[in-house]
Amino acid sequence: MLGQYLPVVVLLILAFLFAALSFVASRLLAPRRPHDRKAAPYECGIIPGRETPERFPVRFFLVAMIFIVFDIEIVFLYPWAVAHGGLGLFGLVAVLLFSLAVFESFVYLIGNGALEWGPVRRVRHAVSPARTSTSTIRRAGVREVGLEGRTIGDESGRAA
Amino acid sequence: MDAAVFIVSAVVVLTGAAGVLVARNPVHAALFLVQTLFGVAVLFVLQDATFLAAVQVIVYAGAVVILFLFVIMLLGVDRAEDLGIEPIAGQRSVAAIVGASMLGLLLTVLLVGVDGPTGARGANAALGGAEDNTRRLGEALFTDHVFAVELTALLLTVAVVGAVVLARRVRGPLQPMPVVTVASATGSDDASATGSDEATATGDDPAAEADDEGEAG
Amino acid sequence: MLAVATPEVLWWALLPVLFLSVGGLLLLTVASLVRRLPDWLPQAWTVVTGLAVLVACVPMWCEVRDEGPRTTLAGSVAVDGSTVLVTAVLAAVVVAVALLARPYLRREDLPGVEVYVLLMLSAAGGVVMASADDLIVLFLGLEILSIAVYVLAALHLRRIESQEGAMKYFVLGAFASAFLLYGMALVYGATGSTRLALVAEHLSATVLVDDSMLLAGIALLLVGLAFKVAAVPFHAWTPDVYQGSPTPVVAWMAAGVKAAGFAAMVRVLVTSLGTHASDWAPPVGVLAVASVLVGAVVAVLQTDVRRMLAYSSVAHAGFLLLGVQAADADGTAAVYAYLVVYALLATGSFAVLTVMGGDGDAAHHLDDYRGLARRRPVLAGAFTLLLLGQAGVPFTGGFVAKLGVLAAAVADRGYWVAGLAMLGAAAAAFVYLRILVSMYLEDPDAEAADGSTGPAVPLGARVVIGVACAGVLFVGLVPGPLLDLARDAVPVLVGS
Repeated sequence: MLGQYLPVVVLLILAFLFAALSFVASRLLAPRRPHDRKAAPYECGIIPGRETPERFPVRFFLVAMIFIVFDIEIVFLYPWAVAHGGLGLFGLVAVLLFSLAVFESFVYLIGNGALEWGPVRRVRHAVSPARTSTSTIRRAGVREVGLEGRTIGDESGRAA
Repeated sequence: MDAAVFIVSAVVVLTGAAGVLVARNPVHAALFLVQTLFGVAVLFVLQDATFLAAVQVIVYAGAVVILFLFVIMLLGVDRAEDLGIEPIAGQRSVAAIVGASMLGLLLTVLLVGVDGPTGARGANAALGGAEDNTRRLGEALFTDHVFAVELTALLLTVAVVGAVVLARRVRGPLQPMPVVTVASATGSDDASATGSDEATATGDDPAAEADDEGEAG
Repeated sequence: MLAVATPEVLWWALLPVLFLSVGGLLLLTVASLVRRLPDWLPQAWTVVTGLAVLVACVPMWCEVRDEGPRTTLAGSVAVDGSTVLVTAVLAAVVVAVALLARPYLRREDLPGVEVYVLLMLSAAGGVVMASADDLIVLFLGLEILSIAVYVLAALHLRRIESQEGAMKYFVLGAFASAFLLYGMALVYGATGSTRLALVAEHLSATVLVDDSMLLAGIALLLVGLAFKVAAVPFHAWTPDVYQGSPTPVVAWMAAGVKAAGFAAMVRVLVTSLGTHASDWAPPVGVLAVASVLVGAVVAVLQTDVRRMLAYSSVAHAGFLLLGVQAADADGTAAVYAYLVVYALLATGSFAVLTVMGGDGDAAHHLDDYRGLARRRPVLAGAFTLLLLGQAGVPFTGGFVAKLGVLAAAVADRGYWVAGLAMLGAAAAAFVYLRILVSMYLEDPDAEAADGSTGPAVPLGARVVIGVACAGVLFVGLVPGPLLDLARDAVPVLVGS
């Protein structure tokens, strides 16, 4: 009975062995000569301007949360799919009501822009006509490199 | 065979649980939690509850712990709290005593009363064949427990709405923090936040800045 | 494949849950599809939904009275008098909170659709708790109710106290839920079913050789439920949460959550585990006395009116537990009557507090009430009536309610419990007296005295306070109808 899970166990052991071997091999083979610049967050030469106030926007958390919600929906759909022959119309109505309520939260998320990513929508207005290379350099002086092109503070198009 | 698998997975579960408590690094604690949940999945398999085992791995070990890790990363792994200070003196020793006695009580109940806790209805009788398992579960869910299933959908919706509301960007300035005053008339358990009228303007709250950043969308 | 027998559904019995949940979800959908919703629409929709539930309760009550109680959905939902009564209370509180919420949200400049959505969904959870005939359903109802309330408590995103209170509430609430769930698991293990009717049937038909597992389960259930209704020693969250949360939400916590919690407690303990009353009644009695005494004494020490009322709500929970520990029909009826009266008192009182909070919801210190009688005589008068009601002064509803539970306790020979509770009631009266003294006898602050007339009272709050006062007076003068209603509402288990 439990014999059918033997491949899973073997795979598990292999995975552990591989991970352990990798650690040991890297410890044995790789030269370890750390210094300041190597240990810096960006090894590519950009010196971080300031401490970031937070690591991830809360948006990431929302996505993880939504993932769980739909994960659980699938968990309920699966037994229904297996048993639906015997359940008939009653089961169909039940599962439709269930899915509708969960789907509703999806509509809410999209309506609130919780799933919108990337730069804000009105990106073509971002570069003002008055902007020249000197003003860009001046802005770079106040450490806003990487933020141009994003209209910070322009939230009007979005129900926050 | 069954006994051996049970013992091994029980050890996995318990060491994982102990690891969650002992680990200093929260990421390690989350990984120990994965270990525990995985061990529980093996126990489910042992009980012929294959569907539950799969759900355990997919939802708990997969999704829920990932969510935990997200929160740990959001807050910052290195931002450790100083656990050396007890906010309320003597709290921890009392908590330890109460917790230990509670554990002892439950263990006594479960171990001593193991013979006669229930008079009827074997709740864990064999379901008859692992293939049947998921179908039986589906039938039970959508007949006897159909109301609970529908309520789950409602619960999930509440959770989504709650997450969006709480993750929302704060509009306008934060209100000043109330100054903690220990007025002579306050009770012993009442040392927090009574003097809201004596609040001083500490408007420069870091949380306000944190919300301006990263919410460019 | 053979067709499986599917349970029958009494749709009329599910109407309250359907109204509240579909109402909440519809509002949520409309709000996410339509960008600019008119300001009044969510509130009006919530009020209409609440009133629809109230209206639906009338035929349900008649049906239950004429045809007797029954269960539906394979015995997971009970349809009896207590279901209908508590549903009606919850619906009325939803209407009141919706009326209070809009002016509050506008004053505090908070976004305002989700409040109503969460309120309705939370109420749906409360109705589920009140009608649950199955431990799993009960737990799900409790979680729907609680999670929505945790979020509502944190709703004032700019007040750090709101966040703090919600955090405390959430962490402790999660613990309490775990206790409850563990208790349910043990009760299931000891009796072999999660259906309350089957649990009762099993316990009355069999004599357990060793009931330690059942007793441990009951103990854990008791912890989980006592947390929900804020009984000492599981009350520690109450003052901070009541102080921090938006005041209309506190009205819902005090009136709605408590009603749902006690409905669930009565159903589980008195109705389903009634055979073991001799085991759980003494601890409940201890909780009751501790709640009354601690609530009353610590309330006296507070200077913030919301914290005072928080502790007084702990004391009220103690009185309600007094009715539960009697473990008979009289005690249960007294609990329901108390719940109705307390819903009126709590909603009215917190409506006054909502108005008094002022900009930023901060003016809740006792000093802010100085000389209110001179500035706002009608408001002060209404608050006086509500406070006297809470104190249990004769000719108010509070007297009728307190008398009911005390009589039930005495009839059950719980003399010392009743005596200590009376002592607590006397101490609690001092709390309300302090607020009254501040309102009537002390002079207003210098700046408040010159010309300012105190806070403006919005129409919604006027309606809520007015109805609450009228209800409290009516019950106090003509207690008969309420007592009859409560007596008819005593739940009966129906085998599925």
